[in-house]
Amino acid sequence: MTPGDAEFRGMSLPARWASRLGGKVRRAFAQLGSISWLLSGCLRGLARLEPEQRRVVAEVTRRQIRFTALDALPICLVTALLLGGVTLLQVFGQLSAYGVESYLSQLLAQMVIRELGPLMVGVLVIVRSGTAMATEMASRKLSGELDALCASGIDPVQYLLLPRVLGGVVSMFSLVILFDAVALLGGFLVAWLRLPLSLPFFLGALGQAIGHRELAATFTKCLVSGGAIPLLCTAYGLRVKRSPTELPQAVTKACVASLLVLLLTGALLSVLIYA
Amino acid sequence: MPEPLLALEAVTLLSPGGRTVFRALDWRLERGGRFHAQGGAGAGGTALLRLCAGIAEPESGKVVLDGVPLAAGARLHPFLARGALGWVPSDGGLAVNLSLLDNVVLPLRFALGRGRAEAERTALDWLERAGLGPVRHERPAVPGNRDCWLASLARAAAKGSRLWLVDRPQGGLDPASIQAADEILREAGRDPEVAMVLVGSPWMAGLGQELKIGKGRVGPGGEG
Repeated sequence: MTPGDAEFRGMSLPARWASRLGGKVRRAFAQLGSISWLLSGCLRGLARLEPEQRRVVAEVTRRQIRFTALDALPICLVTALLLGGVTLLQVFGQLSAYGVESYLSQLLAQMVIRELGPLMVGVLVIVRSGTAMATEMASRKLSGELDALCASGIDPVQYLLLPRVLGGVVSMFSLVILFDAVALLGGFLVAWLRLPLSLPFFLGALGQAIGHRELAATFTKCLVSGGAIPLLCTAYGLRVKRSPTELPQAVTKACVASLLVLLLTGALLSVLIYA
Repeated sequence: MPEPLLALEAVTLLSPGGRTVFRALDWRLERGGRFHAQGGAGAGGTALLRLCAGIAEPESGKVVLDGVPLAAGARLHPFLARGALGWVPSDGGLAVNLSLLDNVVLPLRFALGRGRAEAERTALDWLERAGLGPVRHERPAVPGNRDCWLASLARAAAKGSRLWLVDRPQGGLDPASIQAADEILREAGRDPEVAMVLVGSPWMAGLGQELKIGKGRVGPGGEG
């Protein structure tokens, strides 16, 4: 819809722009509504699962965890090791200027555990699994597979969406724990090369830096972004209607929306917990 | 008058391009009713099946299945949730990431609540009757359209469907496959409560009363 469209003929230019803006707001709310509908369907679907359905959902969830967590492990660990090392190098330069290198491990732990871990893992999950989920859902919809599932008596929300959301939360949590551990190890290795730093001292300082708040923040961020990424990517994938040309658009929108949600929820939670 | 299994009430259906496929269509399918739809390509046979399965949404009017209207966007229809619909589209409508066996097993477990071992036994039995025993572990992309359609037929049979909506197989069938499909449909038809709407292939003609589809109308042979 553009201000030059036929339906706006006869309107003044400001009125056309206002109509265009109104259309965008309406679409944004409609989108939010459909995502909320999927989320509530997911929760209702979880509550209504029969015993055999639960076993099927568990099998699909296990498969999802393999794709999202296990298959992402190499890239996740390499990124964590490099990020931990590079972050420490930067922090070390700043701290040594003030002669307070003893705070090195505490600062590193807080940066990695509070912010970098959940953020980087979220980005990796979006890039690897979110795009795959959006593409998969869009192709299933275009090929009529979703219709066939419904006609066969299988609720797509329970069978397709629920395992992806559950798998997303579990994968995100597992990956963040491993990411944090490896990033801190990478940081220690770099520090050990440049400073007379012993492992017991480093671990002791880490223990002091990690409290209940850090664990609660990590858990909350994993829960929110681990659930939101599959939900958004699935929702955008399901929005395709008829043409395969809609598929790349759906995947791009899914990625952008997931990234925005990841950044916004991360920032909001950090402000709420640490401010 | 007993309640029909399926009723189309004043249904108007438009094609994606905006052409009227059915206009104010009223049609009833009683329990045990068997129809074989005639009509050329584009007459509306597939559209009728999609309407009856709740996949195509009518422009106006309503489709009532087993006493409950089919509504788009609502929760899974109770008749569908019970696994009572045997939906056999042209391409089989199978999940591409599952083997033929798992495609048949899935609704048995999910909709009918059967255990994995029992579901696999039943699925294997019907896949073998469809001549698909040797390719049961293949995914749909490997065996081709004919086998996907047959697997879909086996899935409908394994579930003990009460209403069969069967579209013509994509690309046709060889004589052995026709015989296997015919036997499966006749076996299902032994139950007097089972209703069927079969579209397209001439070999299906003996399985039900003729149904004329065309000019936006549906009716018994000659009344179309």
